[in-house]
Amino acid sequence: MSIDVKNISYTYMAKTPFECQALDQVSVTINKGEFVAIIGHTGSGKSTLAEHLNGLLHPTTGAVYVDGIDVNGKGADAKKARHQVGMVFQYPEHQLFAETVYEDIAFGPRNSGKDPDTVDAAVRSAMEFVNLDFATFAQRSPFALSGGQMRRVAIAGVVAMEPDYLIMDEPSAGLDPRSRNMIFAQLMTIFKKRKMAVILITHSMEEAALYADRLLVMSGGKLCIDGKTSDVFINDEKTLEKLAVDVPESFKLAEELQQQGLPLKGAILTEAQLVKAIAKAKGWSGC
Amino acid sequence: MLNDITLGQYYPGNSFLHKLDPRTKILATFFFMAAVFIAESALSYGILLAFVFIVAFMAKLPWKMLLKSIKPLWVIIILTLGIHIFTGQGEPLWQWKMFTVTREGIVLGVKMSLRLILLLLISSLLTFTTSPIVLTDGIESLLTPFKKIGVPAHELAMMMTIALRFIPTLLEETDRIMKAQSARGADFSSGNLIQRAKNMLPILIPLFISSFRRADELAMAMEARCYRGGKGRTRMHQLVYGSRDGVAACGMAVLILVLCILKWGGTLWAI
Amino acid sequence: MDSIISVQNLTHTYTDGQNNSVKALDGINLSIAPGEFVAIIGTNGSGKSTLARHFNALLTPTEGICLVNGLDTSKEENMWQVRQTVGMVFQNPDNQIVAAIVEEDVAFGLENIGVPSEQIRPRVEAALAAVNMSAYAQQAPHRLSGGQKQRIAIAGVMALEPKCIVFDEPTAMLDPKGRKEIVSTVVKLNKEKHITIVYITHKMEEAILADRIVAMEKGKIVMMGTPAEVFSQVELMNKLGLEAPLAAEVAFHLNKAGHKLPANIITHKELCKALCPSM
Repeated sequence: MSIDVKNISYTYMAKTPFECQALDQVSVTINKGEFVAIIGHTGSGKSTLAEHLNGLLHPTTGAVYVDGIDVNGKGADAKKARHQVGMVFQYPEHQLFAETVYEDIAFGPRNSGKDPDTVDAAVRSAMEFVNLDFATFAQRSPFALSGGQMRRVAIAGVVAMEPDYLIMDEPSAGLDPRSRNMIFAQLMTIFKKRKMAVILITHSMEEAALYADRLLVMSGGKLCIDGKTSDVFINDEKTLEKLAVDVPESFKLAEELQQQGLPLKGAILTEAQLVKAIAKAKGWSGC
Repeated sequence: MLNDITLGQYYPGNSFLHKLDPRTKILATFFFMAAVFIAESALSYGILLAFVFIVAFMAKLPWKMLLKSIKPLWVIIILTLGIHIFTGQGEPLWQWKMFTVTREGIVLGVKMSLRLILLLLISSLLTFTTSPIVLTDGIESLLTPFKKIGVPAHELAMMMTIALRFIPTLLEETDRIMKAQSARGADFSSGNLIQRAKNMLPILIPLFISSFRRADELAMAMEARCYRGGKGRTRMHQLVYGSRDGVAACGMAVLILVLCILKWGGTLWAI
Repeated sequence: MDSIISVQNLTHTYTDGQNNSVKALDGINLSIAPGEFVAIIGTNGSGKSTLARHFNALLTPTEGICLVNGLDTSKEENMWQVRQTVGMVFQNPDNQIVAAIVEEDVAFGLENIGVPSEQIRPRVEAALAAVNMSAYAQQAPHRLSGGQKQRIAIAGVMALEPKCIVFDEPTAMLDPKGRKEIVSTVVKLNKEKHITIVYITHKMEEAILADRIVAMEKGKIVMMGTPAEVFSQVELMNKLGLEAPLAAEVAFHLNKAGHKLPANIITHKELCKALCPSM
């Protein structure tokens, strides 16, 4: 079970003076059960790649297969394949439209042609995942909620489609640390429970380091690096620098400490790893 | 080209016409339109056409662009021609069943379609050579004397300015919302008319809400920058008439004069 | 007069959609000195934006008093003077740019206050130069990046030659590159043009650049002090739903495990010093 991207290229506004090659021969396979982060600066093609995964954009050349089915094909199979790939856009709360939270979350599952009982079950389970109490919120207007709650409703609207592959484009943009941590905690729960694939598009190296097992680094429409998260930050530091991609803050601090003569061992990408490594180097216990 | 809608039909350039004061161009366009309705004889139509072509030549516009400006209305032009040809009064030239073609009908049909073409050409010349922003300034300035009788000149101009600024933003937003709803399986292209209109709601409602939010934030940002309506406002670009505008006004006056003479000065060339 | 902004016992109450009266600000006392760089931190809904909107008379106090340069903001005759003294830059760069050409937008504020035409252009040019955007004077804003748009918004405020600029989460919608552009512009305006900065954010890496930090929760000021004083209180930061700098967090965890490190560690350098005796 996987998304297979086979050698796709995409040109925006072809045959106009604004022609722009947004994707250049990208091939990648993303398996169910993986947590992948796509990083790269603005304009590197990461969002364009994501929009190809569920057929929102059609590649100029190449093809995308979801569980072996061409997503750009016609017919019920291709449509079903596209519905397997859920996508949470940036600022998803800007797409809320229904009168009640319930109706908005039910929009996706209904469009997939599910019967009312299945839709109801999907809505309830999606609301549970994003930690919105059904009795309190289901019949409220989504527009009367706080920013963080609106975002959770919007995410629930995609989760309710029960996708095997979930793409999230900067789900924490504009949120304060508390709401951000909450959304990621919920995302990890869904990820582990449903054994789906999560594809996180992010500018934050901390988020990538904390949550993703695998990193895809994009630049100039090309997929430049594809590897295990810890390997990428440790082995490709020079390349990342060239691509104007940062490394996690913990990694930087660890390097500074090492330069000052503190021998830290192992891969250090997160705060927890750093604290442990310092304690070990100092011969302290209990950290 | 969603992105370039703000430029409208503006074709950047540095010609005599581009440099004219927008007020001169707007007024001249109105006078030319009046002239089109004065014109009756073949000669006067010839003069008007020649005038348009000379002006277009001076503006250094590609001919193709001018032809393109007629395109959206060509069906109506052909229709006008047809209706007049087949329904004209007078001596029949040719007859088949209920269809009668008269000499008067042909003349009237050609005249009417020529009028339409001339009106289209002259208004396109205005928009081709004047950027929307400058055009807005011109309209505001021309409307200012009518403030006394309650014409909200400044408010109209401010509305146009903000619309120009936000059209690309809203188009981008529409695109984004459509994609997001498509990703949730929304279907915008099947079903009957009512069904389709209903399917548009998931796009229209978020778009309305975001427009209101934008309007709200913009109003606050404008207030924070001391906006308080048109009263006491100055402008960075002040419109100043130059000698160029005098020349253009004289040209326009000569044209109108010639057409008046042709109409009321004698019947020599009249058909 | 010592302070450019002085707030005494300010309370702001409004009525929400369900007709409940909500206290957004509750007895705030704060004074900001000319040339100071103050960061106001707090989660969404802590009242920081509401407070900032009092500084240029977009909102007026329900109770208490807000003085800008000695002028009472609640008096209508002071409003325009207050708004020229304190400019505001908002979160979404798209929703604060009025005109379809960059220089026209920068001129907007000057046109509003009736500056004579011949003086507008030099001030527009100076404002664009202050944010390094002179090359974009003739561009259409929608063609610019987020960081560039936000710098245009700053130029539009700078043209009015304010003494103080309030930034309301100016980087929340920007990518890392845009964020850096804005942060360096803000620091430059403070250091080189001596403009008083009030900077609202929930990002600690931006707040740490300020001279003083004001932390808010539920409409009240809960802590005030230098970045070192505020951010070394890791537990309190977490309780407020905010983050502390990485070095402070690491020091906190080591301390908690019983390894005494010096107090007030917030930078990488300070942590290095504490852990590596060779330094």
